[in-house]
Amino acid sequence: MSALIRIRDLGREYRMGDERILALRGVTLDIHRNEYLAIMGPSGSGKSTMMNLLGCLDTPTAGEYWLNGEEVSRLTDDALARVRNREIGFVFQTFNLLPRATSLHNVELPLVYAGVRGRERRERAAAALDQVGLGHRMDHRPSELSGGQRQRVAIARALVNQPSILLADEPTGNLDSVTSDEIMRVFTQLHAGGQTVIMVTHEPDIAARTERVVVLRDGQVESDRVNRGAAA
Amino acid sequence: MPLSEALRLALQAIWTSKLRSFFTLLGILVSVAFLIVVVAIIQGMNSYVSGTLTASMIGINTFQVRRGPISVGLLDDEQVRMIAKRPLVTVEDAETVAEAVPEAIAVALQSGWPTPVAEIRFRDRTMINVTVFGITAPYQAVQDYTYLAGSPLTDQDVNGRRPVVALGHEIADKLFDNPLSAVGRRVRLDGRELTVKGVIAPKGRLLGQSFDSFVLLPFSTFEAAYGRRKTTVVSVKMPTADAIEAGMSRAEEAMRVAHRLRPGEENDFTVDKADAFVAFWKQLTSMLFTAIPAVVAIGVVVGGIVIMNIMLMTVNERTREIGLRKSLGATRADIRRQFLVEALVLTAAGGALGVLSGWALAFGVSTFTPLPARITLWSVALALAVGTGAGTLFGVYPASRASRLDPIAALRVE
Repeated sequence: MSALIRIRDLGREYRMGDERILALRGVTLDIHRNEYLAIMGPSGSGKSTMMNLLGCLDTPTAGEYWLNGEEVSRLTDDALARVRNREIGFVFQTFNLLPRATSLHNVELPLVYAGVRGRERRERAAAALDQVGLGHRMDHRPSELSGGQRQRVAIARALVNQPSILLADEPTGNLDSVTSDEIMRVFTQLHAGGQTVIMVTHEPDIAARTERVVVLRDGQVESDRVNRGAAA
Repeated sequence: MPLSEALRLALQAIWTSKLRSFFTLLGILVSVAFLIVVVAIIQGMNSYVSGTLTASMIGINTFQVRRGPISVGLLDDEQVRMIAKRPLVTVEDAETVAEAVPEAIAVALQSGWPTPVAEIRFRDRTMINVTVFGITAPYQAVQDYTYLAGSPLTDQDVNGRRPVVALGHEIADKLFDNPLSAVGRRVRLDGRELTVKGVIAPKGRLLGQSFDSFVLLPFSTFEAAYGRRKTTVVSVKMPTADAIEAGMSRAEEAMRVAHRLRPGEENDFTVDKADAFVAFWKQLTSMLFTAIPAVVAIGVVVGGIVIMNIMLMTVNERTREIGLRKSLGATRADIRRQFLVEALVLTAAGGALGVLSGWALAFGVSTFTPLPARITLWSVALALAVGTGAGTLFGVYPASRASRLDPIAALRVE
């Protein structure tokens, strides 16, 4: 079976004035459909760069990135935007909901850019909210929701366009431990339902709940191991 | 993103910060309102000048034979010198014209510039600044005067140089408690005793100027008192407007013969019709019409820059939102459209509000001041076009700036 994500010698170099910074130096990685994977590493390890590249927010300066059979490492801005819309569902640490829009409208956003209109859009957004257990909070604005509820809205938004990957960046970083636990259970459920989930985190107990942990250090893969003790 | 979605977003964003949006579009609003009001006033004046004013000053379906053209104001010195060399228009000229244009309803002679201003007294009441015209009897037909009391001046009054006077309504009204009782009374005009023969029905007051503050003397009586004017005028009233051209050319021919002008020699008189007066006015307003767009353009540019500034600020404030939208799949075109539509909606709203306030102002002007005002469709269309044009022009830069934001950097902004 071919990998959902196929990364070969991926490199990303930044220039800051005369200085060249190699954030990623030749990462090779395969991620298969329905994997539940955590990317870890100390700050400066290249984890954010990795996350941006995986999420098609950025393009590599070296190497190849194949996503779902398409090479996305050389695409233009607008082509990348379409890939993000179709293939990737982002969940951010700070939720990033539009403050003045209702839950429903926040979840509708990816569908707006996918060109889904009218009733179908609302129905799909409502279904996604139902899936994360917020069917009864559709007309609430973010300010009327708790942190955990906000993150669920964000997850519903990430899911609504049925992306290949759910890409979560420190999704529990702004939540207390009880709520974190609740959100992690949502991810576990989604994974059980067949969703590929990639989580970028620096918290070992979050990573411990995934099935595979990739640790980066100095822009390279330090370790890549299957997490035997993962809670299913 | 479909346009309807962009429109919805724009309205939402504008509505969220109502006060700021209002101040943003104020510049466009004021410029557009200014354009509408000024154009409305000029248009109102135009129709007033070519209608009412011309009719009261020259007469309907009337042309004139004069020493110089009607639009004296815009002649250069050379032309003025040429006109000064021309002979005065005389009673004989009026007769020549009357013979040449037999179908005319009336051919009249009237004293022209400089019009004397006199003092008129009845017992203990005095009015100053009364304009005095010397006329032949047909002048009253040219001007369509009707008499409230008494009778018009007659040929006998003119031929006999009778000491009689016809009073404009305002004069009769101020000198006598009951203007109708003026007939037969004796008034003193600059000391000369005259008998009031009639009181003319009012023609009204427009632009704050009364058309009823004058007195008419028989032409002969006038010249005996004030001497010959420099621009005595022959007025010819034709039965229809279509008849004017033919009458004018025959009058010109007859005048050339009477003045013994050789072929090729220039006329030593001018045949002019009301159009000339209208043309003079149009020439004046055309200057205004070139100045106004410049003023409006400056206003719109300033208004547009304000909008651009605010849109740049909005883009700045919403950097994170833009980053988020991009991460969810918005293309550059999507983002550009969102902010361009917002700028456009702002300016269109400014334009629409400007049209409304311009309309209201023009209405107020025509209601509460003597200035007439008439809204024209083209000024509304122009105003809206200029407003939205500015929106597009000044909305493009902020919108394209927003569309080029790097999603990673944008998402990182606090």
